Amino acid sequence: MPRSASLKKTKAKSSYFADAREKFKEHRLAVFGLAVLIALVVIVVFAPMLFPLDPYTSDYFEFGMAPSAKHPLGTDAVGRDLLARLIYGGRTSLFVGLASTLISLLIGVPLGLTAGYYRGWWEALVMRIADIFMSFPAMVLILVLVAVVGPSIWSVTVVIGVLGWTQFARLVFANVLSVREKEYVESAYAIGTKDFVVLTKYILPNSIAPILISMTFRTAQAILMESSLSFLGMGVQPPMASWGNLMNEALSITVLSQKPWIWAPPGIALVLIVLSINFVGDGIRDALDPKMRI
Amino acid sequence: MSNQTAASKDVSGKAAPTDGAELAAEAAAGVATTAGKGRPAQGAEILLETKDLTKYFGGKKRLFDAAPKIVKAVDGIDISIRKGETLGLVGESGCGKSTLGRTILGLLPKTSGSVYFASREITSLPKEELRQLKQRMQIVFQDPYGSLNPRMTVLDLVRAPLDVFGLGTKEEKEQRVAAMLGHVGMGEHQLNRYPHEFSGGQRQRIGIARALILQPEFVVCDEPVSALDVSVRAQVLNLMAELQKELGLTYLFISHDLSVVKHISDRVAVMYLGRIVEITGKHELYANPLHPYTQALLSAIPKPSAQAKQLRNLCALKGDVPSSYAMPSGCRFHPRCPKAIDLCAKEVPLLRNLSPDHQVACHLA
Repeated sequence: MPRSASLKKTKAKSSYFADAREKFKEHRLAVFGLAVLIALVVIVVFAPMLFPLDPYTSDYFEFGMAPSAKHPLGTDAVGRDLLARLIYGGRTSLFVGLASTLISLLIGVPLGLTAGYYRGWWEALVMRIADIFMSFPAMVLILVLVAVVGPSIWSVTVVIGVLGWTQFARLVFANVLSVREKEYVESAYAIGTKDFVVLTKYILPNSIAPILISMTFRTAQAILMESSLSFLGMGVQPPMASWGNLMNEALSITVLSQKPWIWAPPGIALVLIVLSINFVGDGIRDALDPKMRI
Repeated sequence: MSNQTAASKDVSGKAAPTDGAELAAEAAAGVATTAGKGRPAQGAEILLETKDLTKYFGGKKRLFDAAPKIVKAVDGIDISIRKGETLGLVGESGCGKSTLGRTILGLLPKTSGSVYFASREITSLPKEELRQLKQRMQIVFQDPYGSLNPRMTVLDLVRAPLDVFGLGTKEEKEQRVAAMLGHVGMGEHQLNRYPHEFSGGQRQRIGIARALILQPEFVVCDEPVSALDVSVRAQVLNLMAELQKELGLTYLFISHDLSVVKHISDRVAVMYLGRIVEITGKHELYANPLHPYTQALLSAIPKPSAQAKQLRNLCALKGDVPSSYAMPSGCRFHPRCPKAIDLCAKEVPLLRNLSPDHQVACHLA
């Protein structure tokens, strides 16, 4: 994944992150979560490249079959291989989770940063809009928006992403309020640094920790939201697979009670990935928490 | 530490011989008059002057406040600093010393009055011109832990002023940084370390290097040693005095510690609740303090003699510093003054000349 690669680069660059990495290693659940996460990501990203998996073609002789040698997780009602669909569904979930978080980040961070830095009417405007966004019940709003633009992987990603900006904006805003009063920010003015450089070289780098932590939790949240939407039929549309719409099959009582191989694997995968992302987030928080630093 | 200083100077000397020479040459050319003799003559040119400078905080009418509260942190200050000298500024915590320093540099906007730097009024300059002026006026901060960006290496921190003003190529900048670090007694091998890897004294050296790399003429030293261990204090003070001689700097040295100020200053200004109460030469002040507040401060310096103890009891300050919201009428010191008379509560004493180089704001002096 490009994201984890760039993370590693920044970690190697500064001793601040070297310290943090040591602390992260001491957090066992986080290390465990990271291992699970990496394993899941590797499977989801590389398995289709290494093995011939076809999530779309029906096997006309094997409708709704139980797990077998040919189909390790069985087939669905139209004869598609469930293992292939599980893995492709994972791609969908990860894509929506990461892409929507990136959208939230790109909207929320600049707004929070400038609102905290310039204050005044700009702060009032940005933060009141954030308040308005946050006073809507998110799921209902998403359902309505998706219904208007039409459900697809893109609309789901964009809608979840756009609605998530408030979390980052408020977090960064609060952090900027404290960082801007630090003496090293004053020292930046004292040597004649321009506003934009103060923001990007002095304030933003000292707000990275909360942003990073929030990113992990938001990714987990977004994956859950996508699954819920797809489960309700308002998210990713078949034939494209997603963990949510795979579990949609469980709406039928027969499937729920007699064919657990259809809904259990995507359910377990979902819980596993959300749990491990949250553990990793906890680990990063403990490792970067400035209050624990000397 | 002196070993280290010598060693690192050696290193930088080899690495950047041109730079060292350049620095010395400029120092010699620019301020030959002061750098050579060490101490400025009485009639030396005035580099910085404030006229009735004030800085009030608050005062904005808030929705639920009955009356806006104003803190008069700096209230009508007239000081002048001669080229090449060190003016010490002492006073209790919260008397407005740091605010004065920051207002002079334009880090805080003034409320009224003016500041003249090299005969030019600077508080009403446009933002960009004020920014350019930072090349000539710098500040060393009090807290060596808080004033260095924790995400920047020593190289980044000391090079930042050069980056801001685009001075030189990448190699030239790095050479200047190395030379400057040599000046303050730090080695080149420390360039890529982060502030948290250093002790307080070393960090303050980094802060000094950052302030001096632009070769400013005037430096506000805002309690630069008060956060340091006593053992390191003398080192940093001596370093600052050496650099002043070498580079022909003019200091406004803010401190609450009279012994520190005595060590480094030529003249001393005593500040109380936003006003200057006494200014004079260092020796005159310590030998012949005329304002009761100065007398009380001096008597509070611990001295191992019975006579001094008696004096201390005699001059001990009563009570606390009054609230800045409810400033006393007349002389601001009168509620705590052991010698106060009726006039003190009614009329504000102005700073007057008692001798050509000794000014006091007291009715009784």
